Amino acid sequence: MSDSKRFLHPEAIKRIARLDLRARYIVEGFLSGTHRSPYFGQSVEFAEHREYTPGDDLRHIDWKVWGKQDRYYVKRYEEETNLRSTLLVDVSGSMRYGSGAMTKYEYVCTLAVSLAYLLLRQQDAVGCIPFDETARSMVPLRTKRNHLQSVISALDVSEPKQKTDVHRILRQVAESYPRRGVIILFSDLLTNRPGLFRGLQLLRQRGHDVMVFHVMDDDELDFPFNGPTRFEGLEVPEFITCNPRALREGYLKALGGFLDEVRRGCRRHTIDYALVRTSDPLDAALAAFLSYRLRMHHRA
Amino acid sequence: MSSFVNPTLLWGLALVGVPVLIHLINLLRHRRVPWAAMEFLLESQRRNSTWIKLKQLFLLLLRMAAVAAVVLLVAQPIGCNQLGRFLGGRKTQHIVLLDDSFSMGDRWANTSAFEEAKKVIERIGDELSRQPMSQTFTLLRFSRAGRAADGSPADFYEERVGSDFGQRLRDRLAGMRPSQRSVGPDAALRAADGWIDKEHDEDRVVYLVSDFRAHDWQEPEDLAKTLARLDSAKAQLRLVNCVDAAHANLAITALEPLRGTRAAGAPFYMGVTVTNFGSDVADSVTVVLQEDGRVRPSLTIDRIGPGESETRRFSVYFETAGEHTIGSSISSDPLATDNLRFAIVDLPASVPVLLIDGERDQIHARYLAAALAPGGAVKTGIDPRIESPSYLNNKPLDKFQAIYLFDVGHLDQPAIDALEKYVRQGGGLGIFVGENTRAAFYNEKLYRDGAGLFPLPLLAKTQLLVDRLEKGADLEVSDHPIFRVFAGERNSYLAAVSVDHYMAAPRRWVPEATSTTHVLARLRNQAPFCVEKKLGEGRIVAFTSTAAPVWNNWARNPSFVVAMLELQSYLAPPPSLDANRVVGAPIELQIDPGHYQSEVRLLAPTDRGSTTADGDAIPGESSTQVTSAAPHESGQGMRAVFPEATTSGIYELQLTTTDNKAEVRRLAFNVEADEGNLNTVGPEELRTRLEGVAYEYHDAADFRVNTQDLAGTNLSQWMLYLLVAILLGEQALAYSASYHPSREGARS
Repeated sequence: MSDSKRFLHPEAIKRIARLDLRARYIVEGFLSGTHRSPYFGQSVEFAEHREYTPGDDLRHIDWKVWGKQDRYYVKRYEEETNLRSTLLVDVSGSMRYGSGAMTKYEYVCTLAVSLAYLLLRQQDAVGCIPFDETARSMVPLRTKRNHLQSVISALDVSEPKQKTDVHRILRQVAESYPRRGVIILFSDLLTNRPGLFRGLQLLRQRGHDVMVFHVMDDDELDFPFNGPTRFEGLEVPEFITCNPRALREGYLKALGGFLDEVRRGCRRHTIDYALVRTSDPLDAALAAFLSYRLRMHHRA
Repeated sequence: MSSFVNPTLLWGLALVGVPVLIHLINLLRHRRVPWAAMEFLLESQRRNSTWIKLKQLFLLLLRMAAVAAVVLLVAQPIGCNQLGRFLGGRKTQHIVLLDDSFSMGDRWANTSAFEEAKKVIERIGDELSRQPMSQTFTLLRFSRAGRAADGSPADFYEERVGSDFGQRLRDRLAGMRPSQRSVGPDAALRAADGWIDKEHDEDRVVYLVSDFRAHDWQEPEDLAKTLARLDSAKAQLRLVNCVDAAHANLAITALEPLRGTRAAGAPFYMGVTVTNFGSDVADSVTVVLQEDGRVRPSLTIDRIGPGESETRRFSVYFETAGEHTIGSSISSDPLATDNLRFAIVDLPASVPVLLIDGERDQIHARYLAAALAPGGAVKTGIDPRIESPSYLNNKPLDKFQAIYLFDVGHLDQPAIDALEKYVRQGGGLGIFVGENTRAAFYNEKLYRDGAGLFPLPLLAKTQLLVDRLEKGADLEVSDHPIFRVFAGERNSYLAAVSVDHYMAAPRRWVPEATSTTHVLARLRNQAPFCVEKKLGEGRIVAFTSTAAPVWNNWARNPSFVVAMLELQSYLAPPPSLDANRVVGAPIELQIDPGHYQSEVRLLAPTDRGSTTADGDAIPGESSTQVTSAAPHESGQGMRAVFPEATTSGIYELQLTTTDNKAEVRRLAFNVEADEGNLNTVGPEELRTRLEGVAYEYHDAADFRVNTQDLAGTNLSQWMLYLLVAILLGEQALAYSASYHPSREGARS
């Protein structure tokens, strides 16, 4: 691991209180480690000229063409046509669990903001929808640098609720964003799986590219508990008092089944899927995202 | 069934509840974890709940079993040797042999050997009553071991041991005291050997609880043989010593009349012997004496060296004839039983003595009669009777305490035979020669080459040819009881004795060194003057000169009276053996059925105020025993027999004559003198003497019943294996039921 990546661990990031600073720190740290990134600049490369229509940004008028032809043409760049990224962030109660430096909620927020920062830095449009049982807010797609604050404030949800119907939320997203774009879902996916898959399928049918960051805590993946423990549901009213050592095997088996199901479901709908541990360095998620974009670009 | 070496530790089994308690406490102390992925947990629980619960229950049981195994390991369970014992078919036979000889009365501090022995047996009883297996218990006291005729001499015989046995045994032991008998372990061991059921396969433990006095183990061959038989019968032998150390002890070991004339109205001597069985010198030992219950001046023995005996004689005088009692006692010491001793002297009105004189005028006999019974105020108790030699032919001689022959020229063969018989049976014979003495007859009939009555061969009457001007005594006496009174240079009476003639012995005659013939006095020319010979039980003293002042002037010398009285004492038969009756012997009395009625009453001594070893009151006035005399086995007379004397003292036997007159006979019973020797055999010495015999030796204070041996095999080792197996099983099960992270520790 390079030195720069060492500082991208959740433990290190946790020390930075402000989310925007975190995002900047992560992204700058990440980019400093990627020399001659093949992705950098693609979004600002010239694509084509098209005739000016009212409403277009005057900054994009190509005055050289006007001087030659006396017609208003605007330049179209790759970034304008490439990416409209909507960050779908799960802020429900189950995301409040965390055994390490960060809870899943904190982790996905940091991750989402970092990604937003990276996208905004590349002039891509970023929207954000934090959700639990409903969409808590909907931050529209913008490319402005200061749009990052909108995303950050949208993610600040104090009273989480359980996510009941993910399908409904995904459908709502699909309807709210008719234009094709990238939907990035940050969630632990501890919800109704058929509904989830139906929702994801809907997004795909609408032409969206969907990427799922499946965030799980180490404890949830390894279940390293010992001694009598009372597990109380974060989203359900049930509890279990047990010796966790005895249940571990069955738990891991059930968890394995869940992960397989999610993985298969995503593959079926051509959805990129990344399982992220809250102990993983945050740049890993960014790397996964950029890798995804590269594949998307090649597909295009 | 099994038992435990440390049964009290079984309370620790309560710790079995600790794993349950820990489990319950852990349930109360569980952590609360808000959890997102509840569905997987719920699913896991739904799938595995039954198996998990079973596994956890089994784990809990294993942990409880481990705790129980640790407790049992410490408590040391005793398992029976064979399966048969588990089924109750095998039993353990315990035989306790208790030494109750009177040396067990040895006291020190606030205890005694017997008390220690009782404590040991109580411990055995208590321990056995706690053992659940089939056991029998036999208790036999040494003093009762010889009572084969009594049927069951044991206090407990093959008694089944139950839970209340300890208390029953304690109650029985409470009344037990040491007996006054001196009995070794031999009879008890033989009895135990006889009781062991060799045909059945069972465990046997023989406890010998004793003081291990040296005198009981002087000749251990028989004991070793009996012990070896017990050993070969697979009996475990446990010797328990009840004394801490050998203690000093003084004992009156003898009280008896000294040899001499004993008759009413005449003083006679008794001897009392005190033995110091300790290892230190005993100073100023006071012996208190009683005559017929009246205290008389006591004796003081200045010094008795360790292991030594000192005898003091004292004069006794009884006015009347008949049986008189004499008691002696010394001050108390660790062992009180042997501080008392009793004697009965049966005094006749007078002692008849037969004087046979060969001279017609019987002058020799008269001189001796005058010496033996001077008459007047002086009483010697001797009743001399002068007869001619023919008296010996057909008259009974038994009643005479001594017979004297004076100048007897010839004796018929019946007379010689009667005299020989008389002497051989213990009678005393004094012979003086004279003018009528013919050497040929004496040598042929009486000397008979040393086999007859006369102690030396004779040659002829000889004149003692000496230079009278030469200073010196005609008689040279040796240190002998007859002449001992003349010992000392100041006494010149004997020096004044002049001998003119004597019957000479052959010049070269000297008594054989191995014979019983000794020359007690010689003449100035070294010719024998007084010669002693022992024949059978009796004694013969012969003088080679006359009794009367015919061949010498001795009879006119004051020393003659003294010497003759000493001679009479010397010739008198020894004190009756009846004086040495020992406690434990039956009380027997020979009676003449023509003179007495057959009913005899016994009054035992009551002044001791103690109880017998049986715990019964000593038969006294209130417990007079009555028996009917039965014909003697020999067909002569009747014999009244009472059971053994259990205590020392004077026993009175009341007889009724055929004309309804009451008569009393007294018998003195004393304890065995040697039993007072409190020296013990040490463990090392015992080991040497019992070489080849397997046994355990314990001191009473340290003796603990080894329950392992009682019950069989100590299962501790197996319990340890079981514990290890349980712990391994527990670990395996716990491992399988738990999560073991490979690198980082499990979160707790």
